[in-house]
Amino acid sequence: MRNFKLSIALLSGLLLVFSSLAFAKVEGDTITLGAAVSLTGKYSTNGKNTKNGYELAIKRINEMGGVKVGGKSYKFKIVYYDDESNGGRAAQLAERLIKQDGIKYMLGPYSSGITKAIAPVTEENKIPMVEANGASRSLFTKGYKYLFAVLSAANQYLEVAIDLAVERNGGKGVRIAMAFEQDAFSQDVKIGVVEAAKRTGSEIVIDDNLPKELNDMAATLAKVKALKPDVLVVSGHTKGALTAIRQLADMRVNVPMLAMTHCDAGKLSKQHGEKAEYALCAAQWHKSLTYKDNFFGNGMDYDRDYTAEYGSPPPYQSAESSAALLVWKDAFERANSFDTEKVRDALAKTNMQTFYGNIKFSDTGQNIAKPMVLFQVRCDGGKCTNKVVAPTKWASTKIVHPIPSWSQR
Amino acid sequence: MSKNNIIIYGLILVFGIGAPFLFPAYKLQISILWILTILALTWDIQGGQMGYNSFGNILFFGIGMYVCSSVQIGMFFPLSEWTASGGEKTFLHTTSQYFEGFTYGLILAGIIPAIVAALIGYGILGLRGHYFAICTLGIGIAAGEIAGGIELIGAGQGMTVPPWPKGIGGTELRSQFFYYLCFLTVSITFLVIKWIYQTRFGLVLNAIRDNEDKAEAMGIHTMRYKIIGWVVSAFFLGIAGGLMGNMIGYIEPTEIAFAGSTYGVFMVLMAILGGKGTLWGPVIGAAVFHIFKEGFWTFFLGWQYVALGALIIVIVIFFPEGIMGWLREKYPHRFGEVVDEADRTAQVELT
Repeated sequence: MRNFKLSIALLSGLLLVFSSLAFAKVEGDTITLGAAVSLTGKYSTNGKNTKNGYELAIKRINEMGGVKVGGKSYKFKIVYYDDESNGGRAAQLAERLIKQDGIKYMLGPYSSGITKAIAPVTEENKIPMVEANGASRSLFTKGYKYLFAVLSAANQYLEVAIDLAVERNGGKGVRIAMAFEQDAFSQDVKIGVVEAAKRTGSEIVIDDNLPKELNDMAATLAKVKALKPDVLVVSGHTKGALTAIRQLADMRVNVPMLAMTHCDAGKLSKQHGEKAEYALCAAQWHKSLTYKDNFFGNGMDYDRDYTAEYGSPPPYQSAESSAALLVWKDAFERANSFDTEKVRDALAKTNMQTFYGNIKFSDTGQNIAKPMVLFQVRCDGGKCTNKVVAPTKWASTKIVHPIPSWSQR
Repeated sequence: MSKNNIIIYGLILVFGIGAPFLFPAYKLQISILWILTILALTWDIQGGQMGYNSFGNILFFGIGMYVCSSVQIGMFFPLSEWTASGGEKTFLHTTSQYFEGFTYGLILAGIIPAIVAALIGYGILGLRGHYFAICTLGIGIAAGEIAGGIELIGAGQGMTVPPWPKGIGGTELRSQFFYYLCFLTVSITFLVIKWIYQTRFGLVLNAIRDNEDKAEAMGIHTMRYKIIGWVVSAFFLGIAGGLMGNMIGYIEPTEIAFAGSTYGVFMVLMAILGGKGTLWGPVIGAAVFHIFKEGFWTFFLGWQYVALGALIIVIVIFFPEGIMGWLREKYPHRFGEVVDEADRTAQVELT
């Protein structure tokens, strides 16, 4: 009998949990969007940045009159789940948002890998998703119809750096050392670098794959010390950037050019001070760029408002996340409807400028209107800042190359 | 079979079959409950019945996942082009291709991990206690890193599983299909394991747990039994992996396939929570754990692992033998154990 009672208790427990009410996508004057972001796990920092970006944009849009559809004003709201930096979990949560919470409009998670895990779910359920943090090129070659990315594809991240190195070398090919984390995003960055190397006749002398949760890359750096390449390329999200800077300084490795991703979010210049100087960082956005919109003004305004709200300047992950909400608002108003198909079609026709950059989607949902920027960490009396050095159209400073050796720094 | 048992099995069967209609929005979550139950049940063959704490069983789950989708894709298209970074081409399975590939994929997803288990088991099942635990832990972690380096299966990029064919039904049919497959698999797993525990094989497993040297001395080829036990686990884990990969639709080496830090830990936790070394323990453990996880985790946005930690502490302090162990101690009669009250009091007084 005890077993029997226990199973009854379990079953009723199941019932209780499963009977929690589902809520609708548009209720009263609220449009509810769904998002799974990484609040714990290895992407927690950037997941938080993503969430902050979403929140700031929502607050701003709602304050400034909300979204006007059919002559009525609606407010945005987001239902969040924590995907624990895990793709499998994220895919389940996407399904949960759609099936149980009745979400009809999705925002992206943080990181390419997790976006790749969620995209099949949204696609299958025909739920449009505007994502701001999945740059992997393979997202745009699957023929997805409901995926829209406001950022440039991952393979474009460090191509600029290789071009720059070749340019500084008088147009001749360079010797490249590269170290990439084993994840969807970094592997895509690698594709771009390999292609750029082929195009410019450069030689890849070190090609290391680094484990996830990157805490040590001494082996790679020892090789760099021995082989003396012209440029060292590292991509391993924030942890990778921090590890590279720390160990380059510890081991006193001299390399003429160091190009990385995620230096902005890593707050390299803050955490490592002058050790981080001269690092080149690929970024989707920089506050000194002169794009603007009606909600946030220009990059500087966004920087100021974000800092006032969260106490630290915005990394580009926050900026692009905010831009995603501006895209949603614009699409809703142009569609003038809540029908997912109509909204999807409106999203596909997006052509706008935001403080973050121009946004126009290709047939595959990739933003083709915005280039990547490259900045260099520069220090002046202990205070380090990021200066845009490429592409030259936006450049505020001239690049320092080669990087002075440690003995001269 | 007693009357109570019939009622319990009946209820579970009714719930299992009726759930997709009663709770249509929760199909995926209940499917995952069945997968988790398989994980806990198969872990318990080693961890509970045989006394070999394996932390690497996730290996077979991951292999099953990769084997299944590789077969699904490879039967019809070049696998390397499918997984090629970027993947410029789009391949689409027809309905018949999809199901043909899936059937073979799932069968191989069971067989190949089983073979791997036999080979590895031959090598490492001679280790005992902590040494076995650490060795399996290493194997599980290594598998993820190795898979992350194999270009053919997408390396660190991961691989997408063939999407549900466009020709038939929509997402509703898809989730029902996978739901019932999961339920069928967990039912078969449960019945096979139940049967195993009733045979001499089950007694041998327990003998190995209680005193392996004595079992050996009595003429039992313990190694053979240990390997077969592991092979059984691997077979069902592999199938569970194949199903899981298809349900999620995207495979990634360290977070989804060889997810040692999530499913690898969960399977141990669920078995211990429910009561290891019992037939029903892992099932109850999986249900309680999954409900706890899905029902409450979202309320602790960002703090769920702290809540999980608290749960583990509660289990260890209040239910060291798991839920089943606790019940057994409290109501020994229900488990067919006869307690001589006079003797028990005498014992208590002695201690």
